[in-house]
Amino acid sequence: MAIAKAERLMNLALCLLGTRRPLSKRELRGSIEAYLEAGSDDAFNRMFERDKDDLRELGLVIETVENLDGETGYLARRDSNRLPPVQLDAEEAAALGLAARVWQQARLAGAASGALQKLRAAGMPEADNPYEHSAIEPRIPVHEAAFEPLMLACRDRRPVVFEYRKATAARPGTRHVEPWTLECWRGHWYLAGWDRDRGAERVFRLSRITGKVRSRAGAFTAPVPDVVTVRETVESWAGETATRSARIRLRAGSGYPLRSRATSTRELGDGWDELEIPYGHGLDAWLVEFGPDVVVLEPADLRADVVDRLRAVAKG
Amino acid sequence: MAANAIDQTRRMLSLVTYLRERPGAHVADVARAFGITEDELISDLDVLPMCGTSFRGGDLLDIDTDGDRIWWRNPGALGAEAAEPLRIAADEATALLVAARAVATLPGLREGDRQALLRATAKLEAAAGEAAGASSRLSVTFESEGGVFADVDRAISERRRLWVRYYSPARDELTEREVDPIRLFAVGHTYMEAWCRLSEARRTFRLDRVAEIRLLDEPAAPPELELRDLSEGLVQPAAEDPEVVVEVGPGGRWVAEYYPHDSAEELADGGLRITLRTPEPASLRRLALRLGRDGRIVAPDELAESARSAALAALAAYEEPSAQDGQS
Repeated sequence: MAIAKAERLMNLALCLLGTRRPLSKRELRGSIEAYLEAGSDDAFNRMFERDKDDLRELGLVIETVENLDGETGYLARRDSNRLPPVQLDAEEAAALGLAARVWQQARLAGAASGALQKLRAAGMPEADNPYEHSAIEPRIPVHEAAFEPLMLACRDRRPVVFEYRKATAARPGTRHVEPWTLECWRGHWYLAGWDRDRGAERVFRLSRITGKVRSRAGAFTAPVPDVVTVRETVESWAGETATRSARIRLRAGSGYPLRSRATSTRELGDGWDELEIPYGHGLDAWLVEFGPDVVVLEPADLRADVVDRLRAVAKG
Repeated sequence: MAANAIDQTRRMLSLVTYLRERPGAHVADVARAFGITEDELISDLDVLPMCGTSFRGGDLLDIDTDGDRIWWRNPGALGAEAAEPLRIAADEATALLVAARAVATLPGLREGDRQALLRATAKLEAAAGEAAGASSRLSVTFESEGGVFADVDRAISERRRLWVRYYSPARDELTEREVDPIRLFAVGHTYMEAWCRLSEARRTFRLDRVAEIRLLDEPAAPPELELRDLSEGLVQPAAEDPEVVVEVGPGGRWVAEYYPHDSAEELADGGLRITLRTPEPASLRRLALRLGRDGRIVAPDELAESARSAALAALAAYEEPSAQDGQS
């Protein structure tokens, strides 16, 4: 039976952490059973390179040193791998315990528990069940396949290319992007970055990325800004940055969300109220949802848009 | 069985440090401290005796368990330094810091918890050092309605009934009801799960749709319920729910992003034919109206017809002279 990968990784980690002098590949191969069983040199080399990458992924700092004979040796020095002293009390431990549970994405959930386990090993006290401390059970949803490759690309500052379908476009288009940050807002993930083809900053919604996200060689060409404003961009898509106002008639008792946003409301007495509401992008579509309970008074362009939409629905 | 060799390796490295300090530790305690099941721990304990630093002469870790307690018989095998706690990796720092910062934005978080979280975050940033840097490339904001949240939170901790005026977008109406709150959770928006005494059923309420809320003096008495598994998504249509078919053009593709659906078939014009199920098809009239020329209801007929007649009724108002005031 093949030796489990976790066993092989663990042995390699312990060997590299336990040595004071660099160990050559030959020595490591002679020490770790899974490598002895690896068969060909090629198979061993491939396995060894992958294992080293995996250990680095989980945080091990592995140095590569050439000895006098020109042979490459490896070691994980204690001082570069040791956790600095950290003192957490039981309340702080409980708070981190709650935070570690919010990810609904395997890689981040694993990494968050890994961090907690390291802190626990370093003496972080046991917390009570965090749910007894707080009534809230926050969850960060991650359903988008593009999330993980983009997260890694943001981390490593690697350019990417993907197919992206704009909200209203029939076909996706290819976008070359230098990814800066990912932000989750109202349960949806967005990417902000430099769009190379457009030569401008852009925000992308992850659910509109189709197919695979591929990495591109080379470095970023545009400077990464200190502050990236994903939310403002998304809010303006959603029409929340209104620049004008509209006057509508609303049937009494209906349209609560419109009322809660109105800047003024006046009872007309005939079963209708008159409201003044902020007019931003997308208001026409929203007003149409209320069907015969809303009549747009002004501005004229909004009124025309709403009538236009209603006619389309009436035609069926 | 560990789902992932990297996670298991990471965990076993911490486990070695932890067990070294605690000879004879109980399986149940260690599993709880590590946030894993006892079976997962046992599977780690099966692997550890195969591990060691054999280049130094073949010392494997002599760790064993009788299923209740764990014994490490040669803790010297690794040398004094080799079992020290390991530094936090960049991905670990990112995962924990981003989550901690997000949780700290919850307006409903109790103040003591928020303070503890902020202290812990600062300590973690310091301990992670450079590894904390990349965590700024990911951020999450939860939304929640502060005042409503505080009342629900209080009702849960004092086990009291709530009166709410709640907006239902499907029917565009406000209803008043008494509910027994069960829990609060945040998935994008913040929700209250509660036993609704009006419908005698479990209901989920989005806090930003609560128009008014009041704590009542009656104790809450929700029936014993198994908590729903939220990882499956908030909306879980039942197989017996009626089917609705919507055809959208390219401009209506967003429907597939917002509505959980059974299928979304590509159409030749770049649109989609979306099949979904809902207990109340009438609630989709709003969607039909919103779509305008970007889509139409294919089935059921009654739903398509109700959207058409709503549009006709709305248009009639624009033909009345009284609606023309305000027009220049």
